[in-house]
Amino acid sequence: MPKLTIDGKTIEVAKGATLLEAAQQLGVYIPRYCYHPKLSVSGNCRMCMVEVKKAPKLVTACSTEAAEGMIVRTDTENVKNARRDVLEFLLINHPLDCPICDQAGECGLQDYYMEYSRAKSRFPQEEKVRRGKRRAVGPHLMLDNERCVLCTRCVRFCSEVTKTSELEVMERADHSYIDLKEGRALDNGYSLNIADICPVGAFTSRDFRFKQRVWFLKKTPTVCLGCATGCLTEVHHNENTVHRIVPRPNAETNTWLCDHGRMAYRAVQAGDRLAKGVIKNGLIDLEPALREVASRIDENHASAAVLGSPWLSVEDNAALARLAADALKTENFCFDFKAEQGIKDGILINQDPAPNTAGAALIRAGRGGLTLEEFARRVADGRIKVIVTEARAAAFIKDAVKAAGARLIVFATNKAEIPAGAYATLPYACYFETPGTFVNYQGLKRRAAPAVEAREGVKPLWAMVNKLAVYSGTSLRLDCAEDALKGIEF
Amino acid sequence: MPFKLSEEFKTKAAHICAKYPRKDAALLPLLQELQGAAGYVAEEAMDALAQYLELPYARVKGVVTFYTMFNRAPTGKYHLQVCRNISCHMAGAPGLLAHLRAKLDITEGETTGDGLFTLSAVECLGACGSAPVMQVNEDYFENLTAEKLDALLEDLKHGKHPLKR
Ligand code: SF4
Ligand code: FES
Repeated sequence: MPKLTIDGKTIEVAKGATLLEAAQQLGVYIPRYCYHPKLSVSGNCRMCMVEVKKAPKLVTACSTEAAEGMIVRTDTENVKNARRDVLEFLLINHPLDCPICDQAGECGLQDYYMEYSRAKSRFPQEEKVRRGKRRAVGPHLMLDNERCVLCTRCVRFCSEVTKTSELEVMERADHSYIDLKEGRALDNGYSLNIADICPVGAFTSRDFRFKQRVWFLKKTPTVCLGCATGCLTEVHHNENTVHRIVPRPNAETNTWLCDHGRMAYRAVQAGDRLAKGVIKNGLIDLEPALREVASRIDENHASAAVLGSPWLSVEDNAALARLAADALKTENFCFDFKAEQGIKDGILINQDPAPNTAGAALIRAGRGGLTLEEFARRVADGRIKVIVTEARAAAFIKDAVKAAGARLIVFATNKAEIPAGAYATLPYACYFETPGTFVNYQGLKRRAAPAVEAREGVKPLWAMVNKLAVYSGTSLRLDCAEDALKGIEF
Repeated sequence: MPFKLSEEFKTKAAHICAKYPRKDAALLPLLQELQGAAGYVAEEAMDALAQYLELPYARVKGVVTFYTMFNRAPTGKYHLQVCRNISCHMAGAPGLLAHLRAKLDITEGETTGDGLFTLSAVECLGACGSAPVMQVNEDYFENLTAEKLDALLEDLKHGKHPLKR
């Protein structure tokens, strides 16, 4: 365990740690372009140079191993000059198109320039080497080679993380540029991470481009509900509109985020978002919809049932369990969803597409209920005639419902989710709008936090359940999401 | 027409690969083989070679485009490669390039109408001591001046200068 001194502070680091990592542990930030904690060390950008006592010249902190007794300085004139010089080189051919660049505000060139350079360029605009301007590469990314600093983070991401190796540096010296095979799309399921790790505006997100200047964005830490992996994320939004989702790197699940998870926010603002009830195919105001649903339940009281959902939070599932036990007073309920779980692509995507299979199991542990097979059997043989469930969970009993002609009453956020043949649909606030707890495939409890407000009248699912119970004559006394959790091991 | 590596090439390639601990290490010598046979490395050839070496296509393309010694299109009978790096630059390479451009009426990357000459500016040829330098196919011509160039072009035109290739 080498012990070294950085800017006068002493630290002991693990063997093999680099100067950059050691400095990081001390809270000393060293500027960098090519270094990324989850990619191999490349050492090409030279931005991270520091002074090491007795070394003949500056060394790159990202690729120099910490050694016993090293005395490192990151704040001398020499180091600052080196940073200024590197920036001057990087900016020789840079187009300086910040006013129309979407990276502005989170750009490594802008930030470091303000901090270390502020020097006027000695290179005339007319002599700049021109490279390819923006072009779409794949469904998610735009590539503007003129802005690239050739740090090769994108190249290493594709070869080391997705192992698809689409990208490479072509040509050499000042002709160099990033490219991929002609006609091939950069579409590996994780491509938007490249927009995140590209330190400049060379790779930008086609989805996010020009939607919002980044300094207007507000950030809400939350969890991705795209599958059972439950990656930690940050939702970026402004004026009640979500603009993008980025990963919140953590040791347990994720450094990255898949493209599918990043696009999940689109449903929140989609045109088919439900604010009213649907009976058969017609939209109807919420109160009459609830009344209609309640009377359908009442007329089949003995054969009404509740099916939870691995797409709903623990709290909302618990509210559904209360609906079954205290309002319908039935044993026909089920929170039993077994799914193969585990990372299926070696990166992030889980075999189980639902985010809360493990959370539903907590409800089953606390409240009991039928197995999914038994539930389906009772639907098929007509013992269950009316089912209250969530839209996507209805797929689990699709065949039985169809065969027996049972009535489906589903909660859905978007019209596209409504299963064919559903009798009634009630809207609810999604988890970008209301909090909820989810349990991922490792058993980690993670909170979804609201980033935006639901449309007027659209309530969280537990509140809708509460109302529905009132319409059929019982009060569940649910004043908040947690009220439903009583008696559940949590 | 899809490009196929010839059986002859594959036999040679297997032999070359066997010299290295890893198959992908044979990339450069195999590219030289391909260029030796066809005079240049075609896009489809890069693809076929990538598959043969189990390398990503982008890697092969990156290597081919990095080295100015690899031609990506057919060249004329004589490939004039003028070094443009610092020693040659200071010893007058820009003047030689301009001279050739004017004389042959082509710019870098082009071939004369008679198919005799292709002009290129290349990176350091490693002969700084005798700058300015030009490589023609695989032969070096050093300490060049405009007069020497003119004489050389005449000789080449009349096939009077034996070249290695
Ligand atoms: S495109 Fe971005 S990530 Fe890729 S080499 Fe250029 S600056 Fe680096
Ligand atoms: S971060 Fe060290 S050389 Fe790029």
